[in-house]
Amino acid sequence: MQRILPVKKRGSRGKLKRAQTIPLAIGRYILLISIGYLVLYPVIYMISSSLKPVSAYLDASIIYIPREFTFEFYEFAIRTIDYWDALGSTFLYEMASAALEVMMCSFIGYGMARFKFKGKRFFDVMLILLILIPTQMIITPMMMNYSQMDVFGIGGLFHSLTGIDLRPNILDTVWTFYLPSLLGVGLRAGTLLYIYIQFFKGLPQELEEAAWIDGAGLFRTFFSIALPSSSVVFTTVMIFALVWHWNDYFLPIMYLSDNFPLAVKIYDIESLLTLQNEWGTYASISTKGAACFLFILPVLVVYLFLQRRFVQSIDRVGITG
Amino acid sequence: MRTKKKNRGITALKARYGWICVAPWALGLVLFFIWPVIQSVVYSFCKVNLSAGGMNITFLGLDNFKYIFMENANYLDFMVESLVKFLYSFPVILVLSLILALILNQRFRGRLFFRALYFLPVIIASGAVLKTILSSTAAGVSNMQQDESIAMSMFSVSELVTSLGLPQQMSSYFVTLMDGITGLIWNCGVQTVLFIAGLQAIPPLLYEVSRVEGATSWEEFWFITFPMLSRVIVLVSVFTMVELITDPTNKIMDQAYAFMRSQFYGESSAMLWSYFLIVGVLMAALLGLFKKFCLNKWE
Repeated sequence: MQRILPVKKRGSRGKLKRAQTIPLAIGRYILLISIGYLVLYPVIYMISSSLKPVSAYLDASIIYIPREFTFEFYEFAIRTIDYWDALGSTFLYEMASAALEVMMCSFIGYGMARFKFKGKRFFDVMLILLILIPTQMIITPMMMNYSQMDVFGIGGLFHSLTGIDLRPNILDTVWTFYLPSLLGVGLRAGTLLYIYIQFFKGLPQELEEAAWIDGAGLFRTFFSIALPSSSVVFTTVMIFALVWHWNDYFLPIMYLSDNFPLAVKIYDIESLLTLQNEWGTYASISTKGAACFLFILPVLVVYLFLQRRFVQSIDRVGITG
Repeated sequence: MRTKKKNRGITALKARYGWICVAPWALGLVLFFIWPVIQSVVYSFCKVNLSAGGMNITFLGLDNFKYIFMENANYLDFMVESLVKFLYSFPVILVLSLILALILNQRFRGRLFFRALYFLPVIIASGAVLKTILSSTAAGVSNMQQDESIAMSMFSVSELVTSLGLPQQMSSYFVTLMDGITGLIWNCGVQTVLFIAGLQAIPPLLYEVSRVEGATSWEEFWFITFPMLSRVIVLVSVFTMVELITDPTNKIMDQAYAFMRSQFYGESSAMLWSYFLIVGVLMAALLGLFKKFCLNKWE
């Protein structure tokens, strides 16, 4: 299928640049490598420490690569953070709501970018506030509302009139995650919506106009024309959404009482490890390294596959509008 | 029906489509955003008690704010600490990610590799794991050295300082500086991505024109790149501000949640909102200056 992308002309700029002098190029590499070292170092240290036996810490001749590798810390980490259950929980709560959020935000963003309607100014302002005010600010009322889920006070009114409480407590269920995602106000939905809106604004409108005139309705136009041409923005938004949900420890801590996702376990790993007193400091460093590596491994694998597309898509999304 | 639709014209039809798209969001905004925001603002002026029948709210006026600012021993200290941190982190993150984006946007050998490397923080650096990685990296080496620091483990700092013939106190400054920089670089991922996207959206034509006119790259940056990026700069600023507020090492947030867990909902809301407002005003001032000195000049 032919893609309709707002292709920004690239390339000409690179060629136009003055012939790059060698010192400049060397300076660039020095800067990139030194900052890259700062980025990579903790990751390398984490992986190396997770494979080191305790004796290797005391051996001054060993810095990164131990003489013998051990996987016992991985086993221990899997037991400590209850890896497989936590992974299942991450998929159940976080990944599913990330998928819902990506789909729903694309629809809302499309509507915001394409159509003029009464009250759009209001939604523009709301979008800014949604980006600006993190969920952390309003977590108290959110929890209270979830414990008695109500729509426009109808349930409350019914309760006070008849004494029957129809307001379900949805804390500790998947709905605390799915409902906001489905309604476009999930985790950092504001930023995702913003990216979508800017992208759809830059997408040529002619094909859709043609479809309108041929009598295609909203859904038909959206699903058969707008969506297929927005694979670029999908990659970007999907990576952001997946990563943010994967790393989200705050909402699960607040909304759930057990069966925590992985991020919460990593966040709490200090206290999980102190329960095992017989392990010394070095063992706990190794276990932490192993646990962290197990935690980022799935995202890392996905990133390695999507990396090229992600890096390229960044060029084309056109966030500036 | 069909003819009626046609009579109302395509504008009306589109307006209706717009509403269909936005309707679920409108519902979500009211239920999960606007209403909770109003509630939590109200809580900050009230005493909130949870009881079996629901909650009791008594209006207190400014008592909560009086309490957190005048009577609570820690809050003011935490506030000053985190504002200072905000004031130095914010410009450093912005400038650093802009520089990285400018470099990564050029064409050079290994660009794809470096881009993948610098986007790594986007994947990993979100709160929980970053905190654990950085702290355990620090602990691994500093066990013998008392100090918890990544810089200690990355460079053999004290040897470096002595070999350069500098006084020993320098090493602690150096360590603090390096630690700070490492933490900040790990916070630059998304910002760099946003800046690169912004750079790509600048029409190459502008650079062609400026080159014909004989502009140096320094001028090119200040008269084309920087002004064209102004909207991304605002977006990145807002994003950075939210990141810094919700940072897991932010003590004000910790304090507020501790209050929340012991059911002091009013005080906790007051803490969160006063902090948010102060940071917001700071941000607004920064953006206002930016607008006054940069945007207005360009227009």
